[in-house]
Amino acid sequence: MTGALPAPPRASAAAPDALLDVDDLVVRFRTHDGTIHAVNGISFQVARGERLGLVGESGCGKSVTNLAIMRLLPKPAGRIEGGSVLFDGQDLVRMDEADVREIRGRDIAMIFQDPMTSLNPVLTVEEQMTETIGAHRRLSKADARARAVDLLGMVGIPQPEKRLNSFPHQFSGGMRQRVMIAMALSLEPKLLIADEPTTALDVTIQAQVLELISRLTTETGTSLILITHDLGVVAGMTDRINVMYAGFIVETATTEDLFEAPSHPYTVGLLHSMPRVDEREGEPLIPIEGRPPDMRNAPTGCPFAPRCAWRLDVCWTANPPLAPLVPGTVVRVAGAGATHLTACHNPPTPAEAATGRPLRAGHRPARAPAGQVDELASLAAIADGVAPHGAS
Amino acid sequence: MTAPATTVGPTPLAERRASRGLWSDAFRRLLRNKPAMFGVVCIVVFIGAAVFAPIIAPYGPLEGELANRLQPPSPEHIMGTDLQGRDQFSRILYGAQVSLQVGVIAVLMALVMGILIGALAGGIGGKVDAVLMRSTDVLLSIPGILLAIGIVAWLERGLWQLMLAIAVTYAPIFARLLRGSLLALRESDYVVAARSVGAGGNRVLTRHMMPNALTPLIVQATLVLATAIIDIAGLGFLGLGPPDPRTAEWGTMLTDARRFLQTAPWLVFFPGAAIVISAIGFNLLGDGLRESLDPRLKR
Repeated sequence: MTGALPAPPRASAAAPDALLDVDDLVVRFRTHDGTIHAVNGISFQVARGERLGLVGESGCGKSVTNLAIMRLLPKPAGRIEGGSVLFDGQDLVRMDEADVREIRGRDIAMIFQDPMTSLNPVLTVEEQMTETIGAHRRLSKADARARAVDLLGMVGIPQPEKRLNSFPHQFSGGMRQRVMIAMALSLEPKLLIADEPTTALDVTIQAQVLELISRLTTETGTSLILITHDLGVVAGMTDRINVMYAGFIVETATTEDLFEAPSHPYTVGLLHSMPRVDEREGEPLIPIEGRPPDMRNAPTGCPFAPRCAWRLDVCWTANPPLAPLVPGTVVRVAGAGATHLTACHNPPTPAEAATGRPLRAGHRPARAPAGQVDELASLAAIADGVAPHGAS
Repeated sequence: MTAPATTVGPTPLAERRASRGLWSDAFRRLLRNKPAMFGVVCIVVFIGAAVFAPIIAPYGPLEGELANRLQPPSPEHIMGTDLQGRDQFSRILYGAQVSLQVGVIAVLMALVMGILIGALAGGIGGKVDAVLMRSTDVLLSIPGILLAIGIVAWLERGLWQLMLAIAVTYAPIFARLLRGSLLALRESDYVVAARSVGAGGNRVLTRHMMPNALTPLIVQATLVLATAIIDIAGLGFLGLGPPDPRTAEWGTMLTDARRFLQTAPWLVFFPGAAIVISAIGFNLLGDGLRESLDPRLKR
């Protein structure tokens, strides 16, 4: 499977109804410790009404991608160093700050990870909600208030009239996240970005909040980008999933395809490190060994190679582009018929994906060239070349 | 606008707590803080002395007969009399007026200057920030009392000069504090959230960042007031206090009494105690405020 690599999919194959078209986006942070390569030229699209999941572990660039789309990267360290973000045909990267401000909240809204810290502690919920509404629409105070009451009712906050005068600290975490959702949806945006909206919540509340986001976006036809590190969260909520690793998209497919036939070792690893109720008893969890790469170094080969049991020699030197599993397939980048794309020189077979380990006879992870970190070296069994279970 | 399928959350409890605002929470915590309450008592005594001096004081601050000079404490003069036979208790009460007036106005002036500089530096950033912060660095590099002496010496003695000197000395502290808070807040979740819904730069600064950055300033202002009272006395002691040398001022009283430290120790003891009590009062209150307003200590 190390044959000729097909050209990466380009915008020419774009779905015509794309709401958001991110092309070759590069984001870097200049810090005292050096340059952080946070996002390394990723391209993806979101169709109108589509719900896209963005999955990956902490620090893989998923939140940064979305802050970049909103042009909210921390200044002056964070900078968009290349690419374009077309929203409704307008390039957000090259737009005036004043114009971007118009789009924020009105066309693109965001829900943040921690509802405990994303509401201003010194302002009442009413002040914060009417401020959002007033920033984009000329409404009288009474009208804005009425709208806020409607919205709070819509997200399931009991006695919205009364609660409007409360301060954020008088709400529980789940209730605050509902307030955040109400604020984000107050102007009926075309795109909602939810950045790990349930990570900070109790498990019992998580499902309610996810259900709420899902229901409201479906009702209004709002496109959704759901960022999470939890594959279980995206499974029921998204049409399509981008798996990110170290600032790259390593695999993208419709949700169904991804769970049915994961074909990047990292995705396989993610699926196998997640406990599942329906798993047969005694099925072990397989953690992904090692740590994510140091983002200060510009990646040379595949960023996942140091932790990958499927790696070949080429993985250390060439970073594979996103390509269809079957070379030559016509690529569709968004919508229900989106093509399954993987950035891998040696994709796991369906059987291997199911087991979570390479099964091919005689396969051993390629040795790291001098100067490269090998995260698998800590695993004595693999470093010694002893084939994992199943190989004979 | 569909009705919620499920109602969640303990409503009665939420209602009960709804009346409690952010500040009343902090106030409650402050009331439970014993040292802070002791500080409040000291401050009340100090302010009461200043405000009611004309009523409480048995004598005028300047009236005295040389015949009564240097008397030890007695029922007529509970804190004794000074070199000119003036009643020391009365003079200490009137001295509180000078300390309170100069201290409060100077700190307010420092706050205004500091907030302006800090908000510009932290709000705009870039070159403005660099220039303003280097300027405050220059001011901070000069020892506070030395800077105040220099300013008073340059502008000549006077109450306003004294206030200005103290204000210029402390403005950099407020400016740095505010700038630091603003920088930290700029990346805070709710500021990014406010920007994510389209709030403009000025609005974010004045409505979302400033109110949250003010609590450390309030705390610091209380603490600086304590130091300012000591500085006023210090400048008075060095002869840079109020222009009229007869004015009742604690620092000036100490200078006058210096030569009689052994023969009439009460002349040094009482003004000194007045300075200490008022300074400690503001210090304890400042510490208490810090504890009760610190968001990290909440819940």
